[in-house]
Amino acid sequence: MRTRSARTGILLLGLLAGCGGDAPPAAPPLKVYRHSEDGAPASLDPAQASTVHAVLIARSLYDTLYAYRYLARPYVLKPNLAEAMPEVSADGRVYRIRLKAGVRFVDDAVFAGGRGRSVTAQDAVYSILRHFHPDSRGQGAWAWRGRILGLDDWQRAGADFDRPPEGLRALDARTLEIRLLQPYPRLVHTLALALAAVVPREAVERYGREFGVHPVGSGPFRLLSFDSARAVLARNEQFRREPLDLAAEGFDPVRHAGLGLEALDGRVSPFVDRVLIDWVPEPAARWTSFNKAAEIQYTVLPPSQYDAVLAAREPLALRPEYAQRFVAHAALENSLVYTSFNLEDAAIGISGDPERDARRRALRCAIVKAFDWPARNARFYGGLGRVFSGALTPSLAEFDPALPAPARDVKGARALLARHGWTAQSLPALEHAIPGGPLYRDMHEQLAGFLIDIGWPAGKIRARSYPSFGDFDRATRQKRAQLFTRASHLDVPDAAAAMQLFYGPYAAPGPNTSNYRNAEFDRLYERAAMLPPGAERTALYRRMNTLLIDDCVGVLALARTHLHLWHRGVRMLPDRDSANGFWLRYVAVD
Amino acid sequence: MRDFAARVLLRLLGALPLLLGVSLVSFVLMALAPDKSYELAGRAAGTEEIAAMQRALGYDAPLWRRYLQFLGEIARLDFGHALSSGERVTTLLARTAPVSLAATLPGFVLGHALALAAALLAARWAHTLLDRLLTAAASLGMSLSLVVVVIACQAVFSASDGLDWFPVRGWDASSIGGYLRHVAVPTTALALGGAAYNLRFYRSLMLTELEAPYVRLARAYGEAPGSVLLRQVLPNLWPAIATRLLYSIPLLIVSGSLLIESYFGIPGLGRLTYEAATGGDQPVLKAVVTLSALLFALTLSLADAFSRAADPRLELR
Repeated sequence: MRTRSARTGILLLGLLAGCGGDAPPAAPPLKVYRHSEDGAPASLDPAQASTVHAVLIARSLYDTLYAYRYLARPYVLKPNLAEAMPEVSADGRVYRIRLKAGVRFVDDAVFAGGRGRSVTAQDAVYSILRHFHPDSRGQGAWAWRGRILGLDDWQRAGADFDRPPEGLRALDARTLEIRLLQPYPRLVHTLALALAAVVPREAVERYGREFGVHPVGSGPFRLLSFDSARAVLARNEQFRREPLDLAAEGFDPVRHAGLGLEALDGRVSPFVDRVLIDWVPEPAARWTSFNKAAEIQYTVLPPSQYDAVLAAREPLALRPEYAQRFVAHAALENSLVYTSFNLEDAAIGISGDPERDARRRALRCAIVKAFDWPARNARFYGGLGRVFSGALTPSLAEFDPALPAPARDVKGARALLARHGWTAQSLPALEHAIPGGPLYRDMHEQLAGFLIDIGWPAGKIRARSYPSFGDFDRATRQKRAQLFTRASHLDVPDAAAAMQLFYGPYAAPGPNTSNYRNAEFDRLYERAAMLPPGAERTALYRRMNTLLIDDCVGVLALARTHLHLWHRGVRMLPDRDSANGFWLRYVAVD
Repeated sequence: MRDFAARVLLRLLGALPLLLGVSLVSFVLMALAPDKSYELAGRAAGTEEIAAMQRALGYDAPLWRRYLQFLGEIARLDFGHALSSGERVTTLLARTAPVSLAATLPGFVLGHALALAAALLAARWAHTLLDRLLTAAASLGMSLSLVVVVIACQAVFSASDGLDWFPVRGWDASSIGGYLRHVAVPTTALALGGAAYNLRFYRSLMLTELEAPYVRLARAYGEAPGSVLLRQVLPNLWPAIATRLLYSIPLLIVSGSLLIESYFGIPGLGRLTYEAATGGDQPVLKAVVTLSALLFALTLSLADAFSRAADPRLELR
């Protein structure tokens, strides 16, 4: 009874307090941006951020020393956690990088008192070194292996983090020095990779393998929850206060008209309190959810839906019922889709015997001529892909717009085969390796149709289907696939990232799954890799591109275009390239 | 009760060879699963990185040693960390299995209840227009893929140009209201998808039972057909119905409904299992296989003990 009276008294007091005096002001509603992705990252550990989904979230939770300007294309580097672009020695071998002051990791139990400590140059050193430690399962060693003084020896000697290699040291709490074995201008790009995001050593050691679901970063957001359906990010209140300088980010009033970005100029990002990222692989569910006002506000549209949603492709226009509610943006992907030959294959590869190689080259070139890129583009990429010759994709500064796109030449292909004595009887059997699924089966059928047109017997073209993409990838990297189609995302927006796909020493299991070996190409690659961007380097890359085309190393190529759609009222320019992912911090919701 | 518990325990002990067999078969199948080392080593990894990853994953150990290690993990019920996310497998299972159960149980129960009610109607008025209509509806339901049912349910109940009553996708079990809002459409889809199969099963069970001599006797004594069905036939069918229900529970927990979880964005065990199978995440697969084998063994034991308790004649056979 006494308890009940006491409760009543408290209630009355509460009511009185509520009626009289000034009530505390209601908290403003949270600004929430609801994003969706068509796949989910397996881990949030930046050392494993190798997919576009993982890159997006890693760059939102963590900081990298460098980043890319939000709106500038081709991509342009800018300082991020670093105070400025690096000081580089005259011989191009010593890089000195100063970190911004006062940057802190998010609060976490791993730190003394639970309060995030300052980010230091030692953290940056550790974050690179962990890729070389067997326990961390890092995926970024390729970016620095054989480049940094003493790094490979350090790994062989047991990878002791307390004794960093000579070429990778923190001079003080805010200064990092990298000594290279030879000039490597691409180094700064590698420091913008999500793989190079800066992590605190004590958190990695404390959480061990679970660091992948327990991120502790210094990025614009911190993680509230993560599972196979959704990630919830909250604004990192401790994130450094840097106003958005639209002009410096590459804003173009014509190109970026209608996005509403002007209103954000000078404001401090991030502009939203929460980011909800739904992982929705099913296009139908994504589209239904996107069409509701209260659910996801962004989707990437699959090509199968282009006809239903678009009124025109060039210039891009939505159907009126969608144009009222949504904003559309077509963005060229920093990647290349190509059908590759395994050049170690006994039927179509390079053997070293000039006469045999000439005949095999004729085979490959006939396949290249038979390939109908516009038909491929229309059928599988909604007609929005961009077909180009060689491997220098249109999103690269080295792309040569004067080089004509490949055109189908059935007569030429037939004549080439005949000239080299190939007949229906002597043409070799082709095995087209594909991942399982109807999409890839359709791609194979289309390719077979192209080849039948030039006289290849249908019975000699067959698909070898692998149950999963992982199995398919393993087959190509173990040199077991003869002919295969793949899309390669360029990890960094640099021509070397495209050309490494054909660099001899990187043959399978490395990225050169074509197993192309050409001494001149390799020599040019090595020379270009040491040059800073400029006319000389561009000329070298274009020469390499010509070699690829002349040798018919593959059916090259197409750059995919992603069609981004988002609700009006959301101000942003999304990007799903592996080179980006920094844009979430600039999303604003009206 | 003591007899019942003893019987369950005995059956469980008898299931040990079955568990061992399941572990061996599943291990062999998992050994053929995708090699995760190429993916984990990254796109640009060379021979050294891939070899290091294979060592880290234990792929270089002989199969027999890996199998013994698997048996050790089963004995300890500790499967280590998921290869993909690094999260402890037991934590993953503890987090996702209840979600699967909460997401699919209402649809499962509703689907069976609807099917049972419809089967009673069909059996009571067997070979009439009503029976034919129900049978035709069941055939139609069985012909429709669950994907179609799911998409149709989303279009009707959730889409902005439909009724727009419920969210298209998502999961919120933090409040009763949130749970009901998010589970309503998955439940409807599951109930509609499952009812057709169950209706056929229950109807045929009842029609067979209606041929039994005791039914003819009851009818000869003048008991009404509806009463015979409810008071005589249905109690006799409980062991068969209970067995079907019990057998479905492990699948409900372990595989949930992959389609339901994927289309509705539900972070359950079904989706986790699918991703582990396609991605070659062996620690997760091992745990799921073990969990499902244990649940099946438990279910078999319970179903057997339950049947014997319900029908003492089984003891005499």
